Amino acid sequence: MRFRILAAEAWRSLAANASTTVAATMTVLIGMFILGLSISLGSYMWSWSKNVKRELVVDVYFCATASVEPWCTKDATTKEINDVGNLLSTMPEVRRMDFISRAEALKIMQRKSPELAEGLTGNPLPASFKIIPRRGEDVFRIANRINSARPPGVEKAKTGEQTARRILRVATVIEIIFGIAIAILGVASALLIANTIRLSIFSRRREIEVMKLVGATNWFVRGPFMLEGLICGIAGAFLAVVLLFLGKEAALPAILGHVDYSGDAQALAFVWNALILVGFGLLLGAAGSGFTIRRFLKV
Amino acid sequence: MQDLELKTPPEAPVEPLPANGDGTPGTAGAGAMIVFEDVTKVYEPEVRALCDVSFIIEKGEFVFIVGASGSGKSTLVRLLLKELEPSNGRIVVGGRELTRLKRSKVPMLRRNIGCVFQDFKLLSERTAYENVAYALRVQGQGRNDIRRKVPEVFSLVGLADKMSSYPDQLSGGEQQRVSIARAVVNHPPLLVCDEPTGNLDPDTSVGIMQLLYRINRSGTTILMVTHDREMVDKMRRRVIGLEDGRLARDERRGGYESE
Repeated sequence: MRFRILAAEAWRSLAANASTTVAATMTVLIGMFILGLSISLGSYMWSWSKNVKRELVVDVYFCATASVEPWCTKDATTKEINDVGNLLSTMPEVRRMDFISRAEALKIMQRKSPELAEGLTGNPLPASFKIIPRRGEDVFRIANRINSARPPGVEKAKTGEQTARRILRVATVIEIIFGIAIAILGVASALLIANTIRLSIFSRRREIEVMKLVGATNWFVRGPFMLEGLICGIAGAFLAVVLLFLGKEAALPAILGHVDYSGDAQALAFVWNALILVGFGLLLGAAGSGFTIRRFLKV
Repeated sequence: MQDLELKTPPEAPVEPLPANGDGTPGTAGAGAMIVFEDVTKVYEPEVRALCDVSFIIEKGEFVFIVGASGSGKSTLVRLLLKELEPSNGRIVVGGRELTRLKRSKVPMLRRNIGCVFQDFKLLSERTAYENVAYALRVQGQGRNDIRRKVPEVFSLVGLADKMSSYPDQLSGGEQQRVSIARAVVNHPPLLVCDEPTGNLDPDTSVGIMQLLYRINRSGTTILMVTHDREMVDKMRRRVIGLEDGRLARDERRGGYESE
């Protein structure tokens, strides 16, 4: 009963102030649409950068007869290799390490570039440890430690340095930009809703005055405005979800046709994205109207 | 005014404006409706709107508050409704001390005080019926109660045939009757009127005063702030005069000017 009255009052007011209501809903719609876009793109990027980081490894090469470094005069002995293995396993940054023997290295080469491997006489490739760090950023630290200590038998620790650095920088920048964009849009949407509620409170000063006069409880006075904000928030978010869904169904296949990267990167599932948007819309509506009501609706 | 007399139901005849009051002298007893005790209200910075005002109004009294503009009349009304807090002193309304009343109880206080204002304060986009029903709905009353009470109060104020009109289709006097209907629909023990006839011509004012008089006769205490000299002189009721925020006089059967 009471809720019905509240809802009726909120609806009445929304309809009476249709233009501001539409404006607020549209701004929420835009904000939520961009937020949704950010979430799907952002989560895709995040997952992509995580994948890329997973591909960041350190290769520790041992001396072989073909080594060019002056300190490599002979093949690394088994003892030297074992010592380096023990050293690596004490480093906290190392998540996993795989030993690749000279024979295995040749096999990999034969698989990757058979033409090159065919021309070889003998096996010039060194043995190596392939190290997967705990975090992608750790590759440089690991490589530096090995290269400065230079245990006997080690030729060099290598990272795909240039590429690795660039990838990491891009990924970080992307994460930061999306984070900032989402924060700004969230605040903007909340403020716009707050403003709409303020206009609504302003245009209904007389009604509020009368309500207080005849003894409406605080919640009865506030309720419709609160509900108004929530309705704006949810409606905007819902419309944004619909638009995003249409966009996903219509635009994405067309775009994906031209993109050849097909890694394991995955955007957040659409359902989750939609739920987040609606939840956010609700939150924005509540925050915006709650803030304004506290400031402008003294009861 | 003639208009009103024709519509009045026979069981509640309009009496001529009485020559003498019926309030009993005031001591702070259980029968007091309003008690002001040394009430002072100072607005920032240093504007004394009310200064050490004390009086007692008994249940069932009809009291005029008179005074020039700026004498503190409106402040007095706002204090009664707890729209303002006194800077000093004690205010009791219907046995409840307002200074100790929690903010969450203020709506309950206002439900027990009917209010009528010079500018009617009706909602223009709702019909007369809805305006009155709105007050009940706001107070959480059920549909059936509303359907029963609203027509009742409209026939009390003599507007049974105008329930579906919008405020701007009604005359000033009729609008004031609607606002009175809204104020008394819940049978509050106290009715506060802030210049209810301020915007009305003399004939219409007499009709409103007769209506208020009838409401008073049914037991409702009425406190009326007014500038209407003629009306005060005619009614010969208790008059509380304010001057520059001080209680200038309190006469049992006073006129607009002190005698």
